[in-house]
This record gives sequence, structure tokens and C-alpha cells, in this order.
Amino acid sequence: MISVKNLSHSYNNDGILAINNISFDVAKGETFGFLGPSGSGKSTTQGILTGLLKQQTGKVSVAGYDTMKVQNERFNKIGVSFEQSNVYSKLTARENLKFYAKLFDVPTRDPDELIRLVGLEGKEKVRAGEFSKGMKHRLTFARSMINNPELWFLDEPTTGLDPTIAATIKDIIRERTASGTTCFLTTHNMYIADELCDRVAFIIDGEIVLIDTPKKLKLQYGQKLAEIEYFKDGKLITETLKTIDNADKSRIADIIKNYDVQTMHTKEATLEEIFIQVTGRGLA
Amino acid sequence: MSKVFDIFKRDVLSSTRNTLAIYMIIVPIILAVVIALSAQGLNDTAVKVAMLEDDTPEHIEFMRKYAKVELFNSVNELERRIMKRDEIAGLLPKGDGYEIIVQGNEPEMIEVYTKTLSALYELGVSKEDSRSEIYNFNRHVPPVKKMLVIMLISITIMLAGMLISFGIVEEKTENTINAINVTPVSQNGFIIGKSALGGTAAMASIVISIIITGFYDINWLMIILVGVSSLILSVLIGFLQGLNSKDVMEASTGVKVLLLPIAGSIAGYELLADKWQWTMYWSPFYWAYKANDMILSKTADWPTVLLCTGLVLVISLTAYLVMMPKIRKGLS
Repeated sequence: MISVKNLSHSYNNDGILAINNISFDVAKGETFGFLGPSGSGKSTTQGILTGLLKQQTGKVSVAGYDTMKVQNERFNKIGVSFEQSNVYSKLTARENLKFYAKLFDVPTRDPDELIRLVGLEGKEKVRAGEFSKGMKHRLTFARSMINNPELWFLDEPTTGLDPTIAATIKDIIRERTASGTTCFLTTHNMYIADELCDRVAFIIDGEIVLIDTPKKLKLQYGQKLAEIEYFKDGKLITETLKTIDNADKSRIADIIKNYDVQTMHTKEATLEEIFIQVTGRGLA
Repeated sequence: MSKVFDIFKRDVLSSTRNTLAIYMIIVPIILAVVIALSAQGLNDTAVKVAMLEDDTPEHIEFMRKYAKVELFNSVNELERRIMKRDEIAGLLPKGDGYEIIVQGNEPEMIEVYTKTLSALYELGVSKEDSRSEIYNFNRHVPPVKKMLVIMLISITIMLAGMLISFGIVEEKTENTINAINVTPVSQNGFIIGKSALGGTAAMASIVISIIITGFYDINWLMIILVGVSSLILSVLIGFLQGLNSKDVMEASTGVKVLLLPIAGSIAGYELLADKWQWTMYWSPFYWAYKANDMILSKTADWPTVLLCTGLVLVISLTAYLVMMPKIRKGLS
């Protein structure tokens, strides 16, 4: 669904590259997470893929269209949810969606159904200008589904949402991807990437340093640890030991045999820890 | 095309909820009403004469043929009338003749005209006794009124640019241009759609204003042609200002810069000697003003109107070629 080969981009044509010779593919029906800290090149890449930024080098194909050529009909297959909500404040929620629906050449979804889906039922006739930040974000998210996109670009889809609404949004994403929609998810939130993505790419300083499934990354980079809490001489002691190290394995057996064990958990590395391990930097 | 219409409809809907946009759409019509109401004053150049009611009916009748006569029943009342702000001369019987009373600050013509009328009456002479022949060019449009209406048309064109720039500022501040850019709407379609409200409102205002001010029997096709062609530059400046402005105030300030070439073109056309008229040839507003002047005077012919329109188009299209890359970049 997306094919990127040797893509680079410089904003001022001054040799400073926002993205540097990146290549990756996203298969049809896949949820692909594009992860990196602010300024790493995520938005630049998404900008080129969605046609908002002019492609300078490399070869990019999105939904079967060459992005070097101007073919507006490709947007009939694409949906984009922006990180910053962008709706007309003087129009109501329904008017906003109805307006965008008319701009597509394909059958579109019922605006009221989408409004209900994102939890804004009862707000159909309320002007978007009166909405809270989170409500505007949900309306922007709803709009990205108006044309039933085959390829869905989501930029920080749960940012600024309370946990209940964020869970609803994640459920919607899961439902759509389960029904075959390809999803390109840009985020710096490793938890949402871990929950939703089939594969993730780590991008830093404009270069992709790693692409794999979250599970394989955890297996490859996670240290397979066990955390044990036990009482020794009346004090609660906590030890973290490697489950693949022979000395640590003996120590675990020793603790179980000789002490009063309170809790024992295996500990899996998070994507964030793996990101820091691989890139040497945090995601803030 | 339907998408362009949808963008236009959205802008109309949004404008109905925007007080400033509504004000800008109706202000030319209000100005047209003001011009229409003050038109009588602009047309009325008759000399006013104050007389006593007990003057002879023949004298009053004679003066009424050539002046606007106001009658008073006492000298005191007549004098109070003379002291009012407007220009009026008093004509009072005195001995065998008459006395002319003036405030002192009237144009000399008022005094001379009243004195001449009085002399003609005393001599028993009327206009029929004159041997002069009258040749009439059949110009019935008062020049000041016509000039005000053409100025109103120019201001309406500028307001169209302002309306467009406000629409672009709205798109910019709400970040909705990006949302449009990921729909099948082409950039040209978006530009035409966003120009449609300003253009339509301006053309409607021009037509309504011309009707209100009483210029019904002009060549409407000519006035629409000139109006549409002069809108191009306004649209371009509206877009450019909208894209370069952070808010509505900044955009309106920028578009007001248009007032300078508009006012300069009008002043140049009306005040410059023929040998200096060429200094205004660069301005599309000069050619539009010239064409509108001829159309409202009903002296316009198609070749001249087409020449003026052509020049407006050539100048505007040159500006288009210069500005368009910036506009396209701003919309990306």
C-alpha cells in the first residue's frame, strides 16, 4: 500500500536533511507505527506521503499512486487525521462533516453515524467553535473516516484525550484495521504503538534505525527479567534477576528455597525502553 | 465544478455567521442608498430667492420661472431665513424698485443672478426674447453623482478582496487548508471556490448599488464585463494578504493598501491634464474607472470598453503571473 525508496527531504535546500535516505514498505491491511521524538522526521515523512509536502528525491508510491505526480483522485482512497484539530469553528459538527463528504468522488459515510462513533452524539448541531480541544480532536478523527479510506494516516490520534475516549478511539482503529484498512500511525506514544501496530519503525534525526514487529523487538532487545520481593531478617527485599543467566537462575532458586517470597513477576521490556536502548535517546 | 460550488456554499454559510463579513457585504448598498438620497441635493443647482407673500403675484410668478422661491409673511421672518446656513437671497420691495438682501458669505453668482432676474422683470423681458439658440449634448447624469457611484464600484471591488482575505485567514487560523489539501479538490478549484463569495458579493453589490442610484438604462453587459475583469487583481491581493496575515485585522490593513492605487487612479483621471493622463496607464483601476465613467454617462462604445477591459486584464494577468507562485506556496 505504501512503498518508500531512498526518500530524503531538505526544507531549505541547504543540505540539512529533515529525512535522510529512508526506505520502507507498508503492506495492505497492515498497521504501521512510525515512532520517534519531536523533530525526528515523522511529520516530514507523513507530509510527503499525504502530498502536503513536495517530494524532492526518491521514489514513493501511496495507494498505487506515484507521489511525484499530482493526482488528486488518490485522496478518494486516503484518510488523514491530523495531530492538531482542524475543523471550521463557525460550522456545526454535522455541517463540517457534510461539507467534507461533498469533496470526495466516492460514496461517503453518514456524518451523524461518525459523530456517534466518536462519542459526540447530541452535539451534531453544536458549532465546532464551542467544542473543547478533545471534542475538536474527535471531530477531526471522525472526518478522516468520511470517505471510507483504504489507507488511513493517523497523527497522534489519542493525544489530549481522556483515557475512556482514547480507549474508544483505539477500538475504532482496531475495528477498521481488522476490516482491511491500512493504517500509518505516527506517534511518540510507545504504548499506543505497542497496542495497535503490526510493525513499528524507529526514526531519529531523519533516519530509520530499526523496523520490526513489537513482539520481535521485545524478544531481541528485552532482557527477560524476573523481579522478586522477599523477606530477609524482617526486611522486604526486591531483586531483579535475568532469567537466562545461570548465576541469576541459581539465585532465584536460592531465594525461593530459603526466604519468604512475597511477589515474583517476569518483566518484559517496553517499546520505550527498547527505543532508548537502540537510539540512545528518549522520546520526549 | 460541483466541489467549487460546495466551497462557495460553505463560505456563504460561514459568512452568515460572521458579523464583519455581513457588514462588508451590505456596506456598499448602504452607501448607494446614501448617494441616492443625497442625489437630489447634488442635482439641485437652482438659485433660491426669499420674497414676501404680499409682493405682486406677477413678480412672484416671474421669479418662480427662474428660481426656487420661498415666501414669508414678514420682513423679520425673511431675514431670519436669509441668516440660515444655505445660500439664499432676499428680494424686498423698496420705493420704486427692489432691495436684495444677502448674508454676505454667498457666492457672488447668487447676488448677480437675483439682481439680473430683478432687472429683467423690471424691463419686462423674458427668455423668449433672447435670440440665442440652445444646442443640447443630452447629458442628463449629474457629474458628482456619477463620480460617487464609480468610486463606490471601486470600493466594492476592494471589499471583495478583503472578504476573500478574511476567508483565507479563517482557513489559515483553523488550519483547514491542510484538510482540504488531502481531498480530491485541486488547488485551482480551491482558489476559484474561495474567490467566489467575494466575487459574487461584489458583483451583486455593484448591480444593486447602480439600480439604487438610478442608473437603470445603462449597458449592463458592459458594466458586468468591467466589474469582473477588475475583480481579478482584488482576488489576487485578497489571497496574498490572507496567506500572509496572522489575523483578520492584519489582513484588512493589507487589503486597504489597495485604496491607494484606487484613489490615485480616480484622482488622476479626474484631475490630471490630458498630457499627463499617461502617468496613470499602469493602473488597472484607471482603466476600469474610465470604462465605468463612459458606461454610466451612456457614451461608451464596445471597442473602447473592450480596450479598457483588455488593458485591465493584461495588467491583472501580469500581476497574477508574479503573485501566483507565492499564493500556491502559501496554500501548500
